[in-house]
Order: sequence, then structure tokens, then C-alpha cells
Amino acid sequence: MLQSKTFVKKTKAGRVQKVVREHYLRDDIPCGAASCSTCGAVEHPLSADAAAILVVDTNVVLHQIDLLENPAIDDVVLLSVVLDEVKNKNLAVFNRIKALCSNKARRFFVFTNEHHRDTYVKEMVGESPNDRNDRAIRVATRWYQSHLGENVKVLLITNDRDNKRKATEEGINAETVESYVRSLAQPGLLDLVVVSTSGDVTMEDVEDLRPSKKKVIYNEHKPMSEITAGLRCGIYHQGKLRVNRYNPFEAYVGSESIGDEIVIRGRSNMNRAFDGDIVAVELLPQDQWHESKSFIADDDEDEEDDVHLAPNNADDAPRKANPTQSTVTSSADSVSSRPVGLVVGVIKRNWNSYCGSLEPMPMPAGSGGVAHALFVSKDRRIPKIRIQTRQLGNLLDKRIIVAVDSWDVLSRYPSGHYVVLIENDINTRPFSTQVLACLPPLPWTLSPEDLANPNRQDLRHVRVFSVDPPGCRDIDDALHCTPLPNGNFEVGVHGSNKYAKCNFDLQWLWHIRSISIYTDIADVTNFVHPGTPLDEEAAQRGTSVYLVGQRIDMLPKPLTEDVCSLRADVERLAFSVIWEMTPHADIISTRYTKSVIKSCAAMSYVEAQARMDDSRLVDPLTVDLRNLNSLAKIMRHRRCERGALTLASAEVKFEIDSETHDPLDIGIYQIREANQMIEEFMLAANISVAEKILKHFPLCSLLRRHPSPTKEMLEPLLRTASSVGLNLDVSSSKALAESLDNAKAVYFCSGDLTFSEYYHYGLAASLYTHFTSPIRRYADVIVHRLLAAALDIAKLPPLFQDGPQLTGVADNLNYRHRNAQMASRASVELHTHIYFKTRPTDTEARIVKIKANGFIVFVPKFGIEGPIYLTPKGDKGGDWVVDEVHQRITKPGTSISYAVLQTVMIHMEVVEPQPHRPKLQLTLI
Amino acid sequence: MEYVNPLTGFRVDGRRPNEMRQLKAEVGVVARADGSALFEMGNTRVIAAVYGPREVQNKGQQVNSKEALVRCEYRMADFSTGDRRRKPKGDRRSTEISLVIRQTMEASILTHLMPHSQIDIFVQVLQADGGTRSACINAATLALADAGIPMRDIVTSCSSGYLCSTPLLDLNYIEDSAGGPDVTVGILAKMDKVTLLQMDAKLPMDTFETVMELAIEGCKAIANYIREVLLENTKRLECQRG
Amino acid sequence: MRDLQHSLNQTQRVRLDAALNELQTIAPSGASAAAVTVADTIPVNDEDNILKGHGTSDQDGEVVATLCGVVERVNKLVYVRTLRARYKPEVGDIIVGRVIEIAPKRWRLEINFSQDAVLMLSSMNLPDGIQRRRTAVDELNMRSIFEENDVICAEVRGFQHDGSLHLQARSQKYGKLERGQLLTVHAYLVKRRKQHFHHLEQYDVDLILGCNGFIWVGEHVVVGENTNMMEDKPSLSAEVENFTPLETRKHICRLANAVRVLSALGFTLTVELIIETAEASISSNVEINDMLGAEFYVQTAEREAKRRADLLKKKSGGR
Repeated sequence: MLQSKTFVKKTKAGRVQKVVREHYLRDDIPCGAASCSTCGAVEHPLSADAAAILVVDTNVVLHQIDLLENPAIDDVVLLSVVLDEVKNKNLAVFNRIKALCSNKARRFFVFTNEHHRDTYVKEMVGESPNDRNDRAIRVATRWYQSHLGENVKVLLITNDRDNKRKATEEGINAETVESYVRSLAQPGLLDLVVVSTSGDVTMEDVEDLRPSKKKVIYNEHKPMSEITAGLRCGIYHQGKLRVNRYNPFEAYVGSESIGDEIVIRGRSNMNRAFDGDIVAVELLPQDQWHESKSFIADDDEDEEDDVHLAPNNADDAPRKANPTQSTVTSSADSVSSRPVGLVVGVIKRNWNSYCGSLEPMPMPAGSGGVAHALFVSKDRRIPKIRIQTRQLGNLLDKRIIVAVDSWDVLSRYPSGHYVVLIENDINTRPFSTQVLACLPPLPWTLSPEDLANPNRQDLRHVRVFSVDPPGCRDIDDALHCTPLPNGNFEVGVHGSNKYAKCNFDLQWLWHIRSISIYTDIADVTNFVHPGTPLDEEAAQRGTSVYLVGQRIDMLPKPLTEDVCSLRADVERLAFSVIWEMTPHADIISTRYTKSVIKSCAAMSYVEAQARMDDSRLVDPLTVDLRNLNSLAKIMRHRRCERGALTLASAEVKFEIDSETHDPLDIGIYQIREANQMIEEFMLAANISVAEKILKHFPLCSLLRRHPSPTKEMLEPLLRTASSVGLNLDVSSSKALAESLDNAKAVYFCSGDLTFSEYYHYGLAASLYTHFTSPIRRYADVIVHRLLAAALDIAKLPPLFQDGPQLTGVADNLNYRHRNAQMASRASVELHTHIYFKTRPTDTEARIVKIKANGFIVFVPKFGIEGPIYLTPKGDKGGDWVVDEVHQRITKPGTSISYAVLQTVMIHMEVVEPQPHRPKLQLTLI
Repeated sequence: MEYVNPLTGFRVDGRRPNEMRQLKAEVGVVARADGSALFEMGNTRVIAAVYGPREVQNKGQQVNSKEALVRCEYRMADFSTGDRRRKPKGDRRSTEISLVIRQTMEASILTHLMPHSQIDIFVQVLQADGGTRSACINAATLALADAGIPMRDIVTSCSSGYLCSTPLLDLNYIEDSAGGPDVTVGILAKMDKVTLLQMDAKLPMDTFETVMELAIEGCKAIANYIREVLLENTKRLECQRG
Repeated sequence: MRDLQHSLNQTQRVRLDAALNELQTIAPSGASAAAVTVADTIPVNDEDNILKGHGTSDQDGEVVATLCGVVERVNKLVYVRTLRARYKPEVGDIIVGRVIEIAPKRWRLEINFSQDAVLMLSSMNLPDGIQRRRTAVDELNMRSIFEENDVICAEVRGFQHDGSLHLQARSQKYGKLERGQLLTVHAYLVKRRKQHFHHLEQYDVDLILGCNGFIWVGEHVVVGENTNMMEDKPSLSAEVENFTPLETRKHICRLANAVRVLSALGFTLTVELIIETAEASISSNVEINDMLGAEFYVQTAEREAKRRADLLKKKSGGR
């Protein structure tokens, strides 16, 4: 049967277009129940002896996704009409429900009711689309009931009062979420149920409903139509809201229509917008744009700053230079008067799950009752969230994760519910059995077939060695350096992973291993084949995450630590990049091959450095090391000449007590010559491989770029530098690190951008990719596959034909990478606090930034950055005068002044004004 | 956009990847022409009219007088696509498709039986929803058979593509504009010979073979349908004649 | 169903379908079995001695149809008879054609064939009836005999080397046709008979069924008066006197419409059938223009069905 779907839609250009589509109705769609004998068999049927088969409606999926993910809810039929609606409304929830459906362990069945002859519902005249969808759901439920007969109970779960009423009238079993969950008699489950907003089935009291408190605190958001109209006229301006980390009541909205940032001050002006939301802002009249000095402010509940590890980044809203004024010098006495506004509507919400803990409060009388608690997030930018829970006692002094649901005009705080598990979207679950099944049989040894493979060169006779951090078990890469009879060197990189990334895109990654540079890279793609569960899991994880004392692997341990790891004295498969170089480090030729190697030594950086320094040692290994070192020095020098950034990014290193897992020592990570040597060769390998794959696959290579920072980002830096008398030329990449943070290095697909945009600012390289660390980065696995296809060793997997899919993969990798960084940063922060808890210290610090009521200092010894208050709390800093041009703060009447880059002595200790919110406090001595 | 739903395996309009759209054919729709046909594949509607064999209009065009001259003209009506078109005739695509159809039909018509004459095939697209080329060839076959022009075999054509890693048969406009490869195949149904093979975009060789096989199967299904329609028509005319 | 635009209402549609179905059931079963389409194999018993005629070809040792039609077997000859194809000429056919072009010493006529037919000047009788050699003057005066767009009746004399037809119009009954209507129907609807010229006395109308599907319905022309008419032509008053009377014109129109209806229904055209249809229209008081309407259409179909049924009954009853 053929039906036709006709509707009229408006194109992007604004023209009205009539769309006519075919819509086929079938009668061969299975219902998915195991007990059904008429329909065809399905792979994962709904269980035959389920208590009830549930049919959920759209709002239930959208709001109660956490409940559905709980294993207690099973045997659910998802109608295609529901899935389509969910997809249109919220893509994140759609992805989660899709994962649930694909998950073979759970019994969620997707029923295509829109194409089934008996359940197809045509829109009636005058019926709204919502009503039509609701009717479709009811028709489908009724069909299910009649199809499966009397033995099986089919239940419609909906919170919509209207829908429920109509369903009961039509003779369908219908229940609300709450009543169903209650019937399951699992108290923990009820917590996951999201409190519904008013208008739905009446539920228990939600907020403080004492009449006196029921006043409207915030303005209503304007409806979307008004907002779009206002945007077009220019009354409203659109932009992303960024909350000041130091002052959660101040936020900035970057607006293109004004050309400057709009300041939003005060909770009521922010009008329930979150950090990261896209908002519509209305400007206040100009006389209200009083000048502001940037504060380090507290909120009204007496909370203090967190100490953050340097350098701090985009939270300081970079200001666009006012186009009418010229740059730094002219803004003499005051901050340029920036427009001030208030939020009138939220265009796109950016609600996530947040980690934090509950505010301490007295236990409610009578256990088991529902209690309302306030959740305080670790991230200062997020306001407190009110949640309902039955397990207050359980949760009170624990770290929990809460998701935000709604924020009413009546309520001071947003409402949310607590979720277990994932933070920063990092997959901490162990690998599933399917993934582990993809591993080769262990213990693995080199097989004759691998040797016989014509594409694989036997390099076991070559003197290959590796240099890594002490205690490193997953060795990605190995090097060799052989002098050739004609005086040149043959340098080879064999490896699986070691990064020679530029430091500033991996700043705070605390890593156990040190940098070793090899150009023999472990042949991970030999074991990880495209399309297998192992590959998909690795693609999803994207990267290994390094926390203090712990590593969350991208690939299972047997692969990372044994089979792929290029340990000493064992034969291993590798992918090699081999250069012939002159003694002046000019590359004459490059070749790539798969190989078999046998590493003769796995050294640590300290060992390697010691060997090189000890002039008594002249064994072949040390000679090789010295040769490599001299080559590396030349290469590094050349790179710096071209303008690469050599950043002294302070990496914090912890020494952990093996028993108590407490940090014993904290220090800056020492970069030795050995580190730089390895880094240099890894960079060279990455660049060579990038050139090779781009040549063969100009449209579908995965590369890495670092966009040049814009002028605005560098402005504060310029100001700082000029105050100490430095003139910086920032047109090339010889500049300091902090401002560059804003422009992060990202993965991209070569087909998406032009050649000039491939540039990597930090390395001053026109082409760059990640090749050297496939054990811990999925991007490298992809590049390995590209290189193998470029060499005609293997076929290019179909993924590369699909442009949009490849872009999606690149985006996912960028996302995972950022999250991994944030996670490790959080981990380091945590350990910092633990360390300083018992050791208050006095130490030197340098001033890096001046604020109105104090300044920010950087402690070089520990790599920590934090604020120092000059005025006591509550005082708006009237005493001190800030000189913007010279970047100094002075107390008038005295000679006390502090300037940028000045050294001061400070005292650091950990205080805990609230449990689970320890702070590192810095005070001036 | 997911053209093939990963959870259910259905396409946007509810078909499976190896299913064609609904076919409908009618013979003898244009009274004045010697042979005519209306062919529908889903929402794509095409009308074909054949005149001939008749006296050669333009002696200059006739290359080989021992054979009939076959001329073909492809046109899209102004209202056939979503937006009203300007200058529908004379643009490159129409010229290219006219040439393609002519070559395909010429391979099948027994031109040596009709020397010193010409056969005109006019094809017009009334509604375009993907696969117009194939629909035109199918319509032209029907019209030629209706006109009583001797042919070697029934020529049918079908298109297929490759989206979301699945070969899809008979793409409609949405799937066609997705940017994936589009393979059009025209075959002589009974003799199992390929007379038309066109593809845009790139495909690796083994995937291409799968996609082409799928298109050929589609062509064979269309050939069966066309055969039935013609047979039905012949019987009806014969009966009425008495 | 094709030439005539009908919007049949529901009952008419039903009646029409019923009539057509009846026709189908009446039809000899052999016909439907023998229908073939392009590329169908034709079952033959004796491969070697078979003569493959029109519409067949040899592929892989099998006899395969190249046309859609009905298989006819005559002794050892197997061929496919098409239905809607163009006219297939044979020597001696009476045809009606229209002059397209005047070429040196010949006229070119359009008949329903793959090429235009040729009528030589020498195959034509001169106006004065004398048999003599055609001179250059005669050639210059060709236009006075036939002009472009004149309708001519002629006979097929033979085929030329390039396959086109050679016509001759020597007899008195051939020549220019005036005062009437030319109708085009499909060639297969006109069967070859002994007589193609029909003079319908009761209407005073001439009916010529050309084998190529061109049918002429016109005022009756007395054959002998040919020469007289030629002389009277110049005078205008003679024209006025020679005006066709209204009655005759009405009859002409009625017969023409009858032919149109029958060809639209796809029934074979015979004189009797045409006359019968015209009579029926008079007796049911159908206006001439209404003959092309839906109601008469359906009635004709029903009548035909009944007629054939009766015929069949008679045949089987008589046996």
C-alpha cells in the first residue's frame, strides 16, 4: 500500500516549499514478542514471561531517560513515532535511547508503527501534530494488546493527563511513570524519576510551597517567536553565555551584532541561564552601563575561590578590542565601558550532568521520606541544584552526579535529579566480553605467518631501543640509529605510541611514563580490525585517560601492556618510519614499512640521559643515543627558527606512596635533553606520515591542526608584556603560552578544509597528524590504517568514503580528548589538595595578573596558580588603585605596590570551610 | 541523516533496502502518436510518445539510409520538480539524457528493417522524484512496443545507490541528493545484456559489483511487469477487434 | 477510449466494463493464447521447415518475437501480426492519401506508412482523357490536376527500389476526392475485402475504406460526370448550384461519427457495422454531435457485445 505524505515547509532561504513523499505501509513488520507465533522471529525479542510489556510515550523518554537506563526497566516497546519525536527534540537523549535499543542485554524493541498497515494513523482535519502522534501511540498500544492476546499485559506509560484519560477511555491499560515505578517496589528507582512540572499528573509537593515564598523570582523567558523577531530587528542579541569562574554572578555574552561582549550582572539578570547556553540578551539603557572593575568576587553565600592550576584559560572572558579605539595604550584610566544587558530567553540549553556533593543539612524526620537537598557543584559556574531523594543519608557525604531538569520562574534554584555513574562522559566500565573476544589468543608470540608476510620487513637484527618514563609498561615506540657507509645515518622510528606532541595541547596530563621517542610504532592495527567490537569500543573511548596514579585504557590491558607494547628482548610487530639523514639532520629519503623488531633495551629518561652524559661509556647503544641526540638538537633548532613554540609549560608531577596512595612529593616535571630528543623524532615521524597520507588521500586524511590565535586572545598577554617593557611580535608563533590556550589543537578531516587551514601554529608545521601513539589514541589507529592503504598493504575501510562520518569521528575524538584533559586536570587538582592538606608551605610566587581587589600568582615550584586577596571580603576594593597600562596595583598614600611578574612570598594551606570542598588558600606574607 | 534506520532496517519511506517503489504503466495514452505510454515509479511520472516509422524530415541528419534514423528528445516539464524551473529545455542535462536514451533504444530497435525512415521518441517528465532516467527508458520501451516497432528485446532500466554502507535499490529524490554514489543500469532483459551503465561518485570495486547486481535484479523485475502490461494490452485489443 | 475524451460517470463505467468483459469472454480463446510480446519465444514444433515471417527473429536457435501481437501460422509460415502498427501495403490495395509535395513528374502522398507514396504523372489520367505522352507543359500543369493537401484515392501498383510505394490512379473511380470528410483510424481495423468503394444509396453518400486506415466519407459522385465537372468548375454560379444539400451533409457527418466511435472502441470497421451504428443513432434520436458523447459510446459497446454474442450463438446453434 502506498500512502503519500504531503506537507508544506519553509526552506532556509525563506521560500515555502511543498514536499510530497511516499509512505509505504507494510504487513511484514514483526511485533517483537517472543510469545507471538504469527510474526516472524526477531533477534532480541521481548521476553515471553514479562509481567507487562511497556509502551512509552515521548515525554517519558525525554524526561525519564535515566530511569529507562536502569536495568530494572525492561521489555519496553519503542514506537518509531516516539523515536522520531525524541530525535527532533533532543539529540543527546536520542543517542542514549538508541544505545539502549542496540544493547543486546536489554530488551528494548523498536516497532515501526508508522509503516505498519494496521497501526498507521492519518492526520485528521484540524488535528495538531502532537495529538496525531498521541493517537498513533494509543492505536499502536491497542493493536499490541489485541495482537498478543489476553495473556500478555500491554501497558502504556505516559505522564500526559490527557493522553492517559483518552487511553483509559479506549480501553488501554495506562499508567503514569510514578505509579508504575511504585508498583515495582524498588525504592532506589523512585529517585530516578524526574519530578514533572506543573500541568501533568499531580505529584507530591515539589518546592517550598509555603505561600510566602511563592513569589516570582525571575522574569519569564520570552517566547521563541518574539525572540526571533527581536533578533531580526536588533533589539535582542544572541550569543553564548560564559560565566566568570571567579564571579559566578557575572557573565559575558559574546555578541557579533554588537561587536563587543555584553556583561550580565546579577542572578536575576542572568535569568536562569547556565554557562554554555545560547541566550538572547536585551541591552539595558546606556546610563546603567556603569564602569566595572573586574573583581575576584564571592557569591552571597560566602564561598571562596578555588585554587586552580596554572595556566588558567578561557574563563577570563577575552575581550574584543573596541574597534573605535586603538589598542592597549589608549584605554588609559578605565576599563572600556562595555554594554550591559539582561537575558530575556534561552535559545539553546546546555544542561549536562555535574559532579559535586550535597550541602549538609539535618536529616528529615522519619527515614524513607522524600527529602529536598541542595546540590553544590564542583564547578563554581553552576548554581546550586535542588534535588529530591529518598536516600539522603546515603548521599550526604559522597560525591554524586546530578543532572538538571528544569528551572521554574518561581524557584530560586534549578531542579534536578541525581544520576549514578559517568562524569565527563568518560567510559570507566571494564571492557565487555565481546570486546575481549576480539583479542588474539594469549600469550601471544610471533607466528611464522607474520614473518612470511611480504609487507613485513624483518628488522630483528637492528639495534632498536626505547626510552620511556620510569615504570612505563605500554611502550609505543622504539628508535634506532645506524650510521651508513656513506656517512649518513639511517634513523628509524618503530613504535606504537609515544607522543611527541607540542606541550601546550597536553598541558596538565599527568603521565607516569616519560617521553621516549622512537620511530618504530607498535602495529596496533594488526590486532584491531575495523568494524569489530574492539574497534568500536576504542573509537568510542577515543583516547586513554591519565589520572593521578591510574590510567583508564582505550584498549584492553593485554594489548596495551603485552602484545602491542615494544618491550625489551621480545619480538614484536611494528610499523616503521625510516629516514636516511645527513649528519646535519637533512632528510634524504623516507620510507615506511611494517616490520618485526626486537628491542634490545627499554630505558628510562634518566637512564638514557645518564648514559649520554657519562663520557666513559662508548658502547654502541650509547653512541647511538648520542648520535640521535645531536641530530635532534639540530632538528629542534631548525624548528624554533621557523617559529615553533617551545613552551615551558609547567607539568606537575606527583610521587605517589605505593601503599597509602598519598602524594609524597609534588614537583614540576623536569624536561631533560632525552625528553626533547624523543619528542623531536616523534614530531618528525608525525609530519612525514601526514605528508604521505595527504598525498594519497587528499580528501579523507585525518590530520591535526592548530588554528592561529586571534588578536583578541593575545591582548591580555600583550598588555602584561608591555607593562614590563617587552614588545611582543605575535604575528608569528613566538609568543607565550597562556593566551594560546584559547585556540586548541584539533583533529579534522582533510576534505573539510583548505590547505592553508591545515597549519599547526604551535609547531609551525604546514601539516601534522598523530601517528606515533596508537595504543592510547584512536586517531593514530585511523592514521595507521590510512598509511597502510597508502602503501597498498591493506584496503581502506569504507569509513573513509563517507565524508560526514569521518568528520563525525574527528569531532568525537576532539570531544574525548578535551574530556580526558579535563578529567586528568581534575585528578591533579584533587591530589594537590590532598598533598597540601597536611603540609602548609611558605614559598615564592610570581604575580601574573592584576585584579581590582588583589592579584593572581603563579607558584613555579609546584606549578600552581591562585588568587591573593588584598582587601578583605565584602569590601569592594576601594583602597587599592589599579594602573592598567603598567599593570600594577598601588595603595595610595603608601609606597606599597605590586606589579606583574614581581616575586612575592606566600603561604599555602588547605582549608575546608565545607566538607568536600577543600580549598587551597594563598596569603601574602 | 540516517537514510537506513539502523534499528529497524527500513528506509525513509518504509521500504527495505532491496525493494523497489510501486510501478504503474499504461499504454496508449496519447491519441495522435503511433505508440505511447505512461510510466510511474513511485512519485516519478514519465510520458513517452513514439512517432514512426515515417518519412525522414531532415535528409541531412540521415547518416545511413539502410537503417532507420532514431531521434530522441527528453524534456522535463516546468512543474515536474519542487520549484518551478526556468529554461527546462536546452540545458545540458536534458541533452545528455536525450543522447543516453537514444543510444540505449537504438541498441534494441531492429533499424535495418525500416530503411529510409525515422523514428521519433519524445519523453517528457511530468513528476520528478529520483530515477527519471530509468523511468524514461522504461516508458520508451513500452511506447515502442505499442507502436509496433520491431525490437530485439525489452529494454529496462533501474537505479541503485550505496548509503549508510548498504546497497539501496531505486533511489528516490531524497536518497539521490544525499551525495552517495548513484548507479543507473539498463539491460536487455531476456538476453541479459547491459546497454547502459552510468555512475557518479566513487565506489570501490567490490561494492560496485554488489550495487550493480542489485540494479540488474531490479531491471529484471521491471521487465516482468512491462511484459505483463504489454501482453494484457495486446489481448484486450485483439478481443475488441473481433 | 483514446480519441474521444469521455468522462464516464459511475453507471456508465460499470456498463462499459461489463460490455467489454463480455467481449473478452466471447472472443475465441485461441486468440489470447497466441498473443506475444517482444522477446517471447514462439513455440514451434518443427524447427527446420519453419519459415520465419514478419515479427520474428532467430535467437540461439529459438524463434523469438520482435513485436507485440498475435502469432499466425499458415502452413509452414509463422509470423506475428501486430495490431497498432503502421500500414503494411500489398500490391493492389486501395488507399486514400493526401498530397504533401509536388516533385518533378510526380506527386508525393502521405499514407500511413513508413515512407511517403509516390504517384507518377504517367500513372494518372490526363483531364482530357487522351492517352498520350506527357510533355513538359503537362509537367508544369500538374498543379491543375492535384494540389497540395488534396485527398486522393489510388491503388498500389508496386514497390520502388527504396521500399516506398508506387501508386496508380488510372481508373475513373480513382482520383481527387471532394466534398467529404477524411478520417484516420488504425490500419488494423480495416480488413482487406473485395469491395472498398461503397455507395450508400439511402444517404447518397460514398464511403471508401482505404486499406491504410484512411477513410473517406463524402458526397456521392457519379463516376461518369468527371469530365463535365471539370468544365463547370470556373463559373461561380455553377458552384452555387453544386452546393451539397443539407441532408446529405448531415448523413455524411453521422456516418463519420459512427466511424469515429467504432474506431475508438477498437472494433473492426465494416460497412454493415457502420451503417448499423448510424441507423441506431437515428432510431435512438441521438443528435449528431452527441454521437461522440459518453452515452452513445457505451450503447455502441453494448450493442456490439450483443451482436457478437448472437453471432456466436447462431454459429454454435447452427452447428
